[in-house]
Amino acid sequence: MIKRIIVFLILATIGYFLVGVVSQIPFGEDRNNVGDYYIEKTPTELKVSNAVTAIVVNYRGFDTLGEVTVLFLAATGLSSIMYRRRRKGEKQIRAKLPSSRIIQIGSQILFPLIVLLGAYVFIHGHLSPGGGFQGGAIIATATLLMLISYRKFKVNHNVISWIESIAGVVFVTVGFVGLILGMTFLENFLPTGELNDLLSGGIIGIIYVAVGFKVASELAGVIDTVLLNNRPEAKNEN
Amino acid sequence: MNEFLTISIYGTAVALMLIGFYAVLAKKNLLKIVIGLSIVDSGLHLLFVAIGYVNNGTAPIFSPEVLGSTQAMVDPVPQALVLTAIVIGFAVTAVALSLVIRLYRHHNTAAIDEIKNLKW
Amino acid sequence: MVISPVHYIALPLMAAFLIPLFGKLNKNLVRLIPGLVLLYLSYISVILMTQVITKDTTIIEIIAGWSPPWGINLVFSPFTGFLVSLFSFLGFIIWIYTYNFKPEVDYAQTQKFYVLFMMLITGAIGVVLTGDIFNLFVFLEITAISAYSLTAFYRERDGAEAAFKYLLIGSFASFLILLAILILYTQVGTLNMAEIAQRVPDMNPYMKGVILILFFVGFGIEAEMFPLNGWVPDVYTQAPGPIGAIFAGIVVKAGVYALIRIIFTLFDVVEVLQLLVVMGLITMAVAEVIAMRQGRLKRMLAYSSIGQMGLVLVAFGIGTHEAVFAAIFLMFNHAIIKGMLFLSATYLVYHSKEKNISDLDGIGKLMPFTAFLFALGSLAIVGLPPFAGFWSKLYILMAAADARLIAVIAIILVVSVIEIVYYFRVLHRIYFKERISTVEIKIPSFNAKFAMLILALVIVIIGVYPDLISGLIERAATDLLDKQHYIQSVLSVGRN
Repeated sequence: MIKRIIVFLILATIGYFLVGVVSQIPFGEDRNNVGDYYIEKTPTELKVSNAVTAIVVNYRGFDTLGEVTVLFLAATGLSSIMYRRRRKGEKQIRAKLPSSRIIQIGSQILFPLIVLLGAYVFIHGHLSPGGGFQGGAIIATATLLMLISYRKFKVNHNVISWIESIAGVVFVTVGFVGLILGMTFLENFLPTGELNDLLSGGIIGIIYVAVGFKVASELAGVIDTVLLNNRPEAKNEN
Repeated sequence: MNEFLTISIYGTAVALMLIGFYAVLAKKNLLKIVIGLSIVDSGLHLLFVAIGYVNNGTAPIFSPEVLGSTQAMVDPVPQALVLTAIVIGFAVTAVALSLVIRLYRHHNTAAIDEIKNLKW
Repeated sequence: MVISPVHYIALPLMAAFLIPLFGKLNKNLVRLIPGLVLLYLSYISVILMTQVITKDTTIIEIIAGWSPPWGINLVFSPFTGFLVSLFSFLGFIIWIYTYNFKPEVDYAQTQKFYVLFMMLITGAIGVVLTGDIFNLFVFLEITAISAYSLTAFYRERDGAEAAFKYLLIGSFASFLILLAILILYTQVGTLNMAEIAQRVPDMNPYMKGVILILFFVGFGIEAEMFPLNGWVPDVYTQAPGPIGAIFAGIVVKAGVYALIRIIFTLFDVVEVLQLLVVMGLITMAVAEVIAMRQGRLKRMLAYSSIGQMGLVLVAFGIGTHEAVFAAIFLMFNHAIIKGMLFLSATYLVYHSKEKNISDLDGIGKLMPFTAFLFALGSLAIVGLPPFAGFWSKLYILMAAADARLIAVIAIILVVSVIEIVYYFRVLHRIYFKERISTVEIKIPSFNAKFAMLILALVIVIIGVYPDLISGLIERAATDLLDKQHYIQSVLSVGRN
């Protein structure tokens, strides 16, 4: 009973504080901030249609590099925390029950379509809403679908490891090329093309494709690691 | 119209954060605590996107139709920040869940009371 | 290619992505690559620091070709450069120590350990180097996720519980910081720290206060301030030994840096400094008293760490030039000395399950080298001459005297006595008691001894010749206090 009161009081304080803060921020007001500069420069200098993509990959590309690293670390940390030494003869099982025929046939049809949609989203990241992260997440969903439907569907961790590493290296290398060419890290060194063209935006396209691959493979790997080997562990097992 | 929008969107964001905090503070099941954490993040991200809104603004995509007109655009910066924040939130949730799985395997329970070392 | 600050981030990232691939070629490469990277970082630290000191300048590096505030920039100034050099050097020494630390850990785990290890240090370096506040948040998260994963690394311990607690509290800190950034953005419209510093004076005072509180608590959690440091003892105890050294020596310093940068450069509010002194004193007093009652070695060191960080906060809070000088000196000393204490303590209790201090009885005869280094570290950290710790304690007391803060001096002296008591208690056990514990001892390997010896040499050399680095620290202190210089250097870089 006491605990409930304390929790209620804490929530009330937090709520009051949040409401007080939020009410001071007028909704929909046009403030004088950096966003205006980005909106102005994106179609003219960068020739990219999606301003958010331009910010994420070019203006604040360093943040995206950090974000990609965070994802990589999460996948590494997750597999490190859940690591179990495999004993001899122990088979790796994923789903416990087979799913019905309808689901299996349905997933077979949907899988390539979802992957196609995901690829479309991250390739056209600079032209329409979307981008590497969104597209990668869509593709990972397709993998999840297959993992649920089929007991025997395996995700090849070796392939995932390769894609992850190479995509990450591509991202950092593109940054370094800018440095080697005498400009700053991650600066755009390719021609920017025309607005609304597939090949516009210079290095933005390359980076987002690499990010798309990386995110897709990492998320698929994470889902698979979590689904693996679900039995409870004895207390002093290593 | 603006009043309604303000209250509903800001209200939802704050409500989400409060619900999430409630889950973290009051629930005993580790899994529910992690979900609460995720809900708090969602509320915060919603708030972030909301502050970027400009009255009558449209999405910051420069399709040919928009280029001709003089319509205002919403601020793209909070959207870019939220993109990063969502990924980071996901990463933390993933690590949290892996810890929950390991704790469950070890102690055969997911109740926070049973796991003695978790006390303050 | 010119050596520039972005190497500190880009190279470790590249290495981290490549480690899994190189591991397939040769398993030993996995352990070697982080060492090479950290060695290179230490090397460029020397070059960049010389450049910064001799030309009396700050190196601002622009990323992606957009000058601030449109783009992100890195700031390598006497202060940030000093910290980054310290992190690189300490990281390299600790890497030497870890090279064959636990040979029974199998390859897959070793690979992940080294990736996380490198990213832990890189994240902390990123926090210090960046000039953009959201970028700081991203690097803080990189550090945090590596930290959560590494805390739970060993299966035999209760690492998962400590990691989970750390994660909950750390996520709350991230929430507060992100909320603060959100509100800050609505008020000043920019994310670049120099421009924020320029626009803050014109801000609505209520919002200014709100943002400050959010940042203070959020970064206070990372800086181990009372009462937000409940996570520290468990995490430092459960994490692998060298990781504990990195937490105490590098990660918490990054947290303190972020807090200080917000207070000194971005906000510049006098009342906060007073609050800092008070919170620092409370942190210090509570932590050291609790340390005295600890029966487990690493837990005692953890509480001692919290206490020292409290002292650093007090020194920063006093705010005068001498106080800031003393604070930075203390950060340096604490990183090296505490690092060495954790490294040697790890070997002293290597095979002990509970890591009790009672297991240390009489170990001085069995492990003379390690015990001696631990003793040296203990003497240094309580502030006895001729070791490095003496100078930082002295400077803080002098700064407090000059600011006429008698109460502060009194508390520091009392706390120092408490420190001497519990450290000497351990030394007494090590050297003057008979060995009763049956725990097997572990002799450190050659590289571990070498690493610890280097740290010990630094402690002794700086203790005898503090002028070797006091010049650097003096410049760092001046740089931190000079807010206008920071703003000018960053905003005058023109490209686009």
